[in-house]
Amino acid sequence: MPQLDADRLQGTPGNPTLLYFLVIFLFCLFGLRLWYLQVYKGKYFDRKSRDNRIRRYSIYAPRGLLRDTHGKLLAENQPSYALSIVREDCPDIGGTLEQVARWTGIPQEQIRTEYERGKKRVRSFDNQILVPHITFEQVAVIESHAIEWPGLRILVRPKRHYAKGPLMTHVLGYVAQADEEELNGDPTLALGDNIGKLGLESVLENVLRGVKGRREAEVDASGRIMREKVVSPPTAGQDVGLSIDLGLQEVATRALAPQAGAVVVLDPDTGKVLALVSEPSYDNNPFVDGIGVEQWRALLGNTRHPLQNRSIQSTYPPGSVFKLVMAPCGLYNHAVTPEKTVYCPGSYRLGNRVFRCWKRRGHGRVDLQRALVESCDVYFYKLGEELGIGAISRFAKSCGFGRPTGIALPHEKSGLIPDSSWKWKRYGRPWQKGETLNVSIGQGSVLVTPLQVAVYISALVNGGRIIQPSLLKQNPVISNGFLPFGDKIRERILDAMVATVKDPHGTARRLRMEGCRIGGKTGTAQVVNLQEKYEKKETHEIPYRMRDHAWMVSFGMKGDKKYVVVAMVEHGGHGGSDAGPVVRAVYEYLFAGKDLCSTDA
Amino acid sequence: MILHVNWVFMGTTVVLLGLGVLNLYSASALRTEGGVLLDPYYQKQLMWGGAGGCAMLACMLFDYRHLKSLAWPMFVISMLLLLAVPVFGKTIYGARRWISLGLFNLQPSEIAKICVLVLGAKCLARIPEKLDWRVLIKVMFIGVLPAAFIVKQPDLGSGLTVVLLLGGMVLYKGVETKILKASLLLGPLLLPFGWFFLHDYQKQRILTFLNPGRDPLGAGYHIIQSQIAIGSGQFWGKGFLEGTQSQLSFLPEKHTDFAFAVFGEEWGFLGAMVLLVLFCVFLYQIVMTSQEAKDNFGSLLCAGVFFYFFLQILINMGMVLGLMPVVGIPLPFISYGGSASVVNFCLIGLVLNVSMRRYVFKK
Repeated sequence: MPQLDADRLQGTPGNPTLLYFLVIFLFCLFGLRLWYLQVYKGKYFDRKSRDNRIRRYSIYAPRGLLRDTHGKLLAENQPSYALSIVREDCPDIGGTLEQVARWTGIPQEQIRTEYERGKKRVRSFDNQILVPHITFEQVAVIESHAIEWPGLRILVRPKRHYAKGPLMTHVLGYVAQADEEELNGDPTLALGDNIGKLGLESVLENVLRGVKGRREAEVDASGRIMREKVVSPPTAGQDVGLSIDLGLQEVATRALAPQAGAVVVLDPDTGKVLALVSEPSYDNNPFVDGIGVEQWRALLGNTRHPLQNRSIQSTYPPGSVFKLVMAPCGLYNHAVTPEKTVYCPGSYRLGNRVFRCWKRRGHGRVDLQRALVESCDVYFYKLGEELGIGAISRFAKSCGFGRPTGIALPHEKSGLIPDSSWKWKRYGRPWQKGETLNVSIGQGSVLVTPLQVAVYISALVNGGRIIQPSLLKQNPVISNGFLPFGDKIRERILDAMVATVKDPHGTARRLRMEGCRIGGKTGTAQVVNLQEKYEKKETHEIPYRMRDHAWMVSFGMKGDKKYVVVAMVEHGGHGGSDAGPVVRAVYEYLFAGKDLCSTDA
Repeated sequence: MILHVNWVFMGTTVVLLGLGVLNLYSASALRTEGGVLLDPYYQKQLMWGGAGGCAMLACMLFDYRHLKSLAWPMFVISMLLLLAVPVFGKTIYGARRWISLGLFNLQPSEIAKICVLVLGAKCLARIPEKLDWRVLIKVMFIGVLPAAFIVKQPDLGSGLTVVLLLGGMVLYKGVETKILKASLLLGPLLLPFGWFFLHDYQKQRILTFLNPGRDPLGAGYHIIQSQIAIGSGQFWGKGFLEGTQSQLSFLPEKHTDFAFAVFGEEWGFLGAMVLLVLFCVFLYQIVMTSQEAKDNFGSLLCAGVFFYFFLQILINMGMVLGLMPVVGIPLPFISYGGSASVVNFCLIGLVLNVSMRRYVFKK
């Protein structure tokens, strides 16, 4: 085959460098690229592939239940339906939102803004809640059109329900949708979650909430679920038993309503709160669904201030109730002896000012006990003048006034025990002696909360311990200190309180009940100082805002049962006649098992 | 002569085929609610491998220099087949590329590639010096004519491969420096005009390649999912049959054009590098053979085979790794494909043929 062999001689076969170069080029190019994709950005792509196939769902943890001391349900969970959207499964988001607006009656713009606002918080392929609560009827309608609106899902979630509504609002508070700030602050919260906003729901949030579970589903490219597994089961929130006695709460509320005010019932030995009433109240259930703007405005604008928890957030002058602090203060500072008497002519003169006793005719000659029983103002004017504001203020503060009691509820007020340095700071003026006299009968700038008073009476009853009141059934007793004075003085004050109930002239004689030891003290706190023109008028003749606050503070013992009951009726008029019946109703329930209001209404 | 068979080359080929079948086994697996389903692609590929082996042996038996006299007739037949496609062709996925022969579908563009390769080698071997203008245009005509028919089918990828294949051989042979300079200047200038000859879907692919995010669920889907598959393999890979991108169908065309992505996902950087090295060894062996060849024709034939494989590897891996627009070119041995396998083995047979006859006629 010579002709085949010939072309060997014809020039060069070619340039191999080009081919070698191309092989090296291929190796370097793809080697580098593989390194970049698989090693350098491997973690990133791994996450991407996981996001592709894993869809994560939350399993809602039921919130802990709240029960009263007898186990009656106060806050429970009911199934509720939420409408959510999965963006990636929804081909026409605009149209879908429009349809949701038509179904639910919520304005379209509102749904759209909610959607846009929440969008960034929701991962791809996750449910984004559009409407947190829809009715069963709406569920039926949406379900029947489900096929026409891909991407829409109906979620079943537990929803808080408060069985007793307004009755327990000021204690329980409520849960509502977590706002932007709360979502930012807590990564475990998802859009549309409810969290405690007020009251025990807020204070016990960490105990009640529980931990959401996680479910993962592996899907293929067309979204079919291949397998599902529960990654972590939900942990239910802990149930909490309260010290509140629902029956008592109900009785006290009905006895107080429709007047505005507060009732506090404590177990003096443990500090457990058996009833904590503030009237008027409001229903906390609408907050769970998201309260309407109109409804919220109405609550805010209500002149009777239903949002205010009067037992801890409102401060009032204590009026004659403060004499229960003044009397031991005098004995403790040796300014008086129990036997020392003072003549009450019906008024007391200091310089050129005249301070009146509530009884214009005067009480005549009174000793300490009589002064308390008949609530003689002149006796305490004199005592106050002798003690001076410094001693009074120090003593009252050491009795627990002027600072929060420490109850586990938000926004508790400290009240105010004035002294000369406070006056100087506040008004830039020196303290006047006349003001000391006003303070002596619980007027002037002295301010207390009903709960503070209840804690003080408890200390008188329980041997002098200032106890931190607690709303929980199981809670160690926490003592915040001791009364500065001894048992002898304490017993004397208690005896005077019992006499105030027993004595025919006693101001608290309304509380007299057979077979139990009840002691009390009334208080009538002037809202506006020296309103001469209203002084002689009957309560109903005076405009509501000008009427006095009525106090009745008390303790009651029967067998081994001990209670402290404090009632404060805002603008009620007179302590004995207006706050008295409320306290009496409570004792009738506690000692006689009688639901007074049902017959007395 | 048997002693002179290039066993390294043959061994590399067998390993590549084996890896390809193994990978196809996994790429055929489909995870469903009920478990894992297997399409029998790997079996078919094994079968085609066997058929290819026979074809390879057949291509080794005769002296390759006889091909010189067969080059023109083969070329004419392949041109006739290409012309027959628009008339008798079978349409799959909107493209008319196949002629049905009952048992299997013949892809005339594959045959055209071999014929262009052989004829190109024959023509270039006869030219003593570097190519000048006149000769270059004559030679390129061999490639451009069938390429035009193939592009019409439409099959831009194969058409371009034919032209580039011939172009590679020409470069290997060597052209006059001034022509090289001129084309380096003119090429980029003419390239934009090519845009107007593209089909809409081809323009879409190029646009999407430049920015896959413009349509992540549509045109960009292939590019994005392929890179996720490769990247998520990380260093060690997810393991055999554990590739989620492929088994849950996120990866499209996983047993054909994107089979390498399945490999990369399951075997990781380590496995992908092993495969890359194997390909480089494979290509290197072809270059070696071309250098050792006894005559220019044999050397050019090997260079042609080199470019044939090189271009496929470059384009396919480039596409899978997101360095090139989506072009339907399979990866040799790894992608499933009947006629492609047979053609691959025929060409390997030719290289072995050249290699074993390298000493036969030495003086």
